[in-house]
Formats: sequence, C-alpha cells, structure tokens
Amino acid sequence: MRYWKKWPINQINVDDERFPKYLKSIKTCPKKLFFRGNWNSNIFEKTIGVVGSRRITRYGRDVIAKFVPTFVGNKITIISGFMYGVDSEAHKTCVENGGKTIAVLGGGLNYIYPPENDNLYSLILENGGLVLSEYEADFKPTLWSFPQRNRIVSALSTIGILVIEAGLNSGSLITAKIAKKQGKKIFSIPGQINSSTSTGTNWLIKNYNGILVSSPDDILESSFKINATQIDLFEPDLSEIERKIIGLLKSEELSVDELSIKLNLAIADISINLSMLLMKNLIEEEAGKVYLKN
Amino acid sequence: MLTKIFSVASIGLKAIDIDVEVNVAEMGFPGFGIVGLASKAVEESKERIKTAIVNSDIEFPNKKITINLAPADIPKEGSCYDLPMAIGVIASTGEVRLPSEKSYFYGELSLDGGLRHTKGVFLLAILAKEQGIKNIFVPRLCANEASVIEGIKVFPVDSLKSLIRHLNGDKLIQPLITIDKEELIFEAEPEFDFSEILGQEQAKRALEIAAAGGHNIFMMGPPGSGKTMLSRALPGILPILTEKESLEVTKIYSISGNIPPGGSLVRRRPFRSPHHTTSQIGLIGGGSNPRPGEVSLAHRGVLFLDEFPEFNRHTIEALRQPIEDGNINISRASGSVNYPAQFMLVASANPCQCGFLGDTKKECKCNVHQILNYQRKLSGPIMDRIDLHLNVPAVDINKLMILPDKNENRSAKSSDIRKKVMDAREIQTQRFKNTNNLYSNSDMKNIHLKEFANMTNEANLLLKQAVNKFSLSARAYFRLIKVSRTIADLSASEAILDKHVAEALQYRIRSESV
Repeated sequence: MRYWKKWPINQINVDDERFPKYLKSIKTCPKKLFFRGNWNSNIFEKTIGVVGSRRITRYGRDVIAKFVPTFVGNKITIISGFMYGVDSEAHKTCVENGGKTIAVLGGGLNYIYPPENDNLYSLILENGGLVLSEYEADFKPTLWSFPQRNRIVSALSTIGILVIEAGLNSGSLITAKIAKKQGKKIFSIPGQINSSTSTGTNWLIKNYNGILVSSPDDILESSFKINATQIDLFEPDLSEIERKIIGLLKSEELSVDELSIKLNLAIADISINLSMLLMKNLIEEEAGKVYLKN
Repeated sequence: MLTKIFSVASIGLKAIDIDVEVNVAEMGFPGFGIVGLASKAVEESKERIKTAIVNSDIEFPNKKITINLAPADIPKEGSCYDLPMAIGVIASTGEVRLPSEKSYFYGELSLDGGLRHTKGVFLLAILAKEQGIKNIFVPRLCANEASVIEGIKVFPVDSLKSLIRHLNGDKLIQPLITIDKEELIFEAEPEFDFSEILGQEQAKRALEIAAAGGHNIFMMGPPGSGKTMLSRALPGILPILTEKESLEVTKIYSISGNIPPGGSLVRRRPFRSPHHTTSQIGLIGGGSNPRPGEVSLAHRGVLFLDEFPEFNRHTIEALRQPIEDGNINISRASGSVNYPAQFMLVASANPCQCGFLGDTKKECKCNVHQILNYQRKLSGPIMDRIDLHLNVPAVDINKLMILPDKNENRSAKSSDIRKKVMDAREIQTQRFKNTNNLYSNSDMKNIHLKEFANMTNEANLLLKQAVNKFSLSARAYFRLIKVSRTIADLSASEAILDKHVAEALQYRIRSESV
C-alpha cells in the first residue's frame, strides 16, 4: 500500500517550455501543475480523454475493453479523472495492456480518492504514466474541485474526448460541455434509450454535435489521415517500411509478392507490416491484392 | 488325409493366423468344397487351384476335397488363400513334402500356375516376426515388401511348380536378403521443387508455415494461379519420413494393394488428391468389408482436396472426425477396424463458380445469388478446423517474364525450406516431449496454449486489437495463437513476439464480401 509514495512529487510552472501547450491555451490555465511519474513531453502528443459515469455497467466495461487496447496499440495516451467507474476502468485497461495513461486528480497528490484505487495509482506510474493535479499535495478534494479538474482533462485531450456512459446532468456532460468550448471533438457511445447511463451519451449525439462512434476505427479514421491535404490531422505512427508500402500503394494496388519484389524484402516482413497497416485502418485487402483506404 | 497349412487374414491393419485345413477323402463322390466364411473371391479360387495344379503337371485328385479356413467365424476375403489351399491339396496326395518348420503360404494363383501380386504381404511379414515363424512363401512380385522385416526368411515364389521343387529339395529357392531399413529411408526427390514455381512467394511462405506446424491450409484463387502445383510441391518440404512413419504408411499401402510390384517400404510422404466426385466411403474408408479411404492413404502425408466446394457436403463434413482424432474407426456388424489418418489437409477453391471474382483483368460472370451459394459451401465447421487461409492471386505473366532473374534468386529450393521446417519441428518435439499425444503446434488444444504459447505483452495487445478489429471468434483466436507459435518456431524465438502475431494475421479466415 502507498507504494506510489516512492515517486517524488515534482512541480512544473506554466512558463516552463515543457508545460503542455494545449493546456496553456485555455483561459483558466493553472499556474502550475504537481505530478508524480516521469515527465516526457511525448506523452501529451496523441491523447484521448475517456470519461463517463461513476456507475459503470457491463456495457461500459465491454466498450472500454474494445476501445482502449486499440488506442494503446496506436500509441495514444488515455487521459481520465481517476474517479471510480468509467475513469478507473479506462486507466486500468490501459495499464493492463502496457499503455501510458494520465490521471488528473481532483485533490492533492498525497490524497488518494477513491481509496480503492491505491494499487492503480502505482500501476499507472510503473507503466510510465503520470498522475497530476493542480492542487498542493495535501489538498483534500471538495465538491467543487472535481468539476474543476475536468477542464484539465479536456484541455489535455488532443484527439478529443470519448464519453463512454453518462446520465443527464452528470459530471461527464460537464466535461463534454467544457470540451466543446475548448473546441475539442466529442465522441459519444450510443446506448439503449431506456438506459439511465446512456441518456447523456445519446443526448450528446442528438443535441450537442457528439460524434457517434461504434468502433475504435471511427475515432482513428477521423483523426489520422495520410492525405497530405489534411495537415491539421494527426500523422499516423508509421515505421519506415510501412511508409514505403503506403507510398507504393498510392499509385496502384499490389499483391504481397509484388510488394516483396519492389521493396526487396522477405514475404514475412511484408506480411508483418501489412497487418500493422491493417490494424491502423490505412489499407484494405481484397482477393489477394492490397488497396489503400481512402 | 488331412493337411494343415498356415496362412493369414488381415482385419483392418492387423494380420491374424488362419489355419487352412485340407482333407482329401478316399470315400465319397468327388467334389471340392470350401467352408469357413469364404467370400466369393475365395469360392472362385477352386477353379484357379484346379487349373493351376493341372498346368503344373500334377494330377488333380479326383476325390472329395474339403477345405476349412479356421477360425471359421472370421470372414475371409480375397485371393491370397490360393497358394495355401493348392499346396494343401498337393500335399494331401503326397506329391510334396511340407516343411518341418511352421511356415506361412500366401498368394494368388494364375491359371498357368504362376503367382500374382497379392496385397497385404507386409502385414504377413510383421505377424510372422511376432509369432516367431521363420519361413514365409510369398509371390516374388511383392516379396520385397517383406524383406525389410528382420529375423524371417522370405522365399520369393515364381510359380507353383518352382515351389514344389523347392519343398521337395530338387531346386532350392534362395531366400531374400534382409534389406536394411535405414538404407531405404533416404530423401526421395520431390515431385515438384518450390524453385520451379515462379512467383507465389506468399503462398510458399504459407506452405512453409503449414509444414512446420502441421497446420491445415486453405487456398483460394482463380484458375491457373498455381494452387495445384503448390500443393504437389508440399510433400517435398515436409520432414523426411521416419522409420516408424514409413512402416505405418507401408502397412496401409500394403493392405490396400497400393505398393507397386517389386516395391518395398514407402519412402515418400503420400500425396493424395481425390477427385471431387469421390464418395464418402471412398474418402473416409468403409464398405461392407472395411477398406482404408483416402484419408488413411494420406496418413503422414498430404490430402489435397481441389475444388473444395464441389465436394458433396456430407463427404466434407465426414472429414471432421478424422481431422480432430487423427484416425478413423469403422464399425460393421462383423467387427470394427481402426485406420490411422493423420494428414495435412490442403483445400483449394476458386473465389466463385466462374473463378474470376475479384480478378483485376477478367470479369466475373456469376450473379450475386450464385456467388453467395458458392461461398456458403465454404463456411462452416470444416473451415474452422483449417489454421491458415490464403488468397492466391493470379500471376501476371508479363511480370513473370520481366523478372525471371530476380525470381530465380528469390525462390528457395525445397530442400532448403525443408531444413527450416525440420528445425522448427525439432523445437516442437522438445517442447512436447513430456506430453502424451502432442507432436506439432497444430495438435495443441486450448488448455495447452496457456502452457506453451509464451506470448509477450505486446503480442497479447496486438492480438486483442485484432480480435476487435476483425471480430474473431474464440476458435479463430486460438488458431491465430497456434500459427503465431509456429512462425516464432521458424525464427527460433522462444516467445511469441508481436511481429509473429502480425504475420499470422495475414493468414486469418476472411469473410468474402460480394
């Protein structure tokens, strides 16, 4: 217990160049941040906020189990609020799959709430993630401090925020509203209309320009493009061979054999890279030929 | 006078002792009767025996001859009792001296008294060794089958006449010299070498993986893309038959009469490609007198089912049990027999009835209904038992002609691939040495995967992503791990890395869309 205490608390000021620029751009930017873990600016580059109800249902768990591994596989950092329910589940699934995650606490870094997340706190740090807060180390979280930290969760999420489950008038909807003000994309998981934990997410889709997502590919597709014209979107994380394959496929569709001859690589190497591209949703296969997805 | 000659009958792959009792009675009307559940072929041997004896310049006794094949409750099949019955008749008349040691006589007679090629000699030799019988008299044409068994004297017999001379000590037949099994088992030249096949490098890699892990494989591609040729080359990269395996295969081939005259041990891995009109019994084995089917003839080798969807649905479904169990049990009223059937299944199909669905050059002429019908045949439990699924696109002739040099450099020889395959098999042998009935990665059941898969976290993550992305079933998930295990073995990696899973993903089952 309290194993996480062996990581020292560090502080970073707003004028530090390592301070995340997305956070700096909001009006209510905190003057400084306290954190545990290794501060590495890369962790802030491709991030998604995963938020949702404290009352998580089986549906919510299934959705997280389906989405989070794909995010981890695409080297996307998961950001959430360390609350029980969806937040904890998202952090937990992320570290289970060896991914990096950032927990933004509603209180000081020495004040663990909810207490059952003690082990999760350590796991996040062990996996190279960050636990951060704008409050002094021993600050006790209060009713108003939780919504406050939501603006940081949203601001740090570069891809957008994904609302897994939310009721009407829930904290998650507050986060969604903040995110919209900050100009972030809001991805929302639809649910049954009579489920109280889905009324919020459905409402986001219906009234709040929430993007309906039913598969992690929906998010990747809207965020990663290889078309040169859309520079505002993220560059997918590609290896050199993958880049070469994409280059060749831009002019014509090719079979594995043809790729192997053109790139002078073994069939096994081509196969490995094609699978990776397939997982990144950049190519398609049909009748033994590989096509670029458009 | 009563004479007793010894011979054998085969039930499944087991030979059993048969006593041929011949009684030539001085009293009663002349006649010739055979009892002891003799089949039609045995009944007819009366005429062959009579004529063969006469044509060997011996007078046929004009007396009442009764022959009993004991034990009398086992059905006797085939023509192999011609020789023991003829010798028994002649011995009863005192024209020949029977050997003092217990000996087996076996073989079919021709009307001129010559001996013909008879199936099952190999099993007879094995039984002779078990029973401690020193001498066996078999037709010369199939005597080589028996010559690999040590400790017995195999006398190759040309004709009834020469046998009588030998038994009477006039002119001795020289027994065959025992052939050393190890000398016989060498690397037989493959029918096709992989380096002869231009292009299709991905398919070759897939076959390499299949051979290394003993996985079943399915190939889909337009006509003329080389599916058949690739399959024919497959036995050439499978490990060389071991002595034990060779004996198993020889048993099946001997009993089904598939060893050519003069042939001995089977040295090449079997490759069977039954036509798609083959009946269920032809494929699985059976009949009122159960005979091995194609699955058993492909034991330790390759069963290639070309035009897979054209096979009768029931025929295909009957393959499920032998694929799972590695043997086939055929029960009949007269008893049940068990034939081994451990084979690698290679199935191939066109993408649609006309064969050109998805082809970039030629247009597909099927309508949607036809395509759906065709592909529906490809779904189902049998496809779920095939680990590697592969698209074999047509090879562009122009590209083949432009790149002949490059292709030559790239195409590995069968013998080189076989070395890699055998190295991977060796790793598997070590891995499974403490298990009961696991030989290759494809044999692993789900419970074994926990123990043997040894996946890294990255590999696990990729697998999870893939399950979501392609909506893989539980069975597909386990299949993927097995294939990844084999790919890892091919690169001598102890753990399954993410790149191994990534490559295995290329061979996952694809649900074709119209």
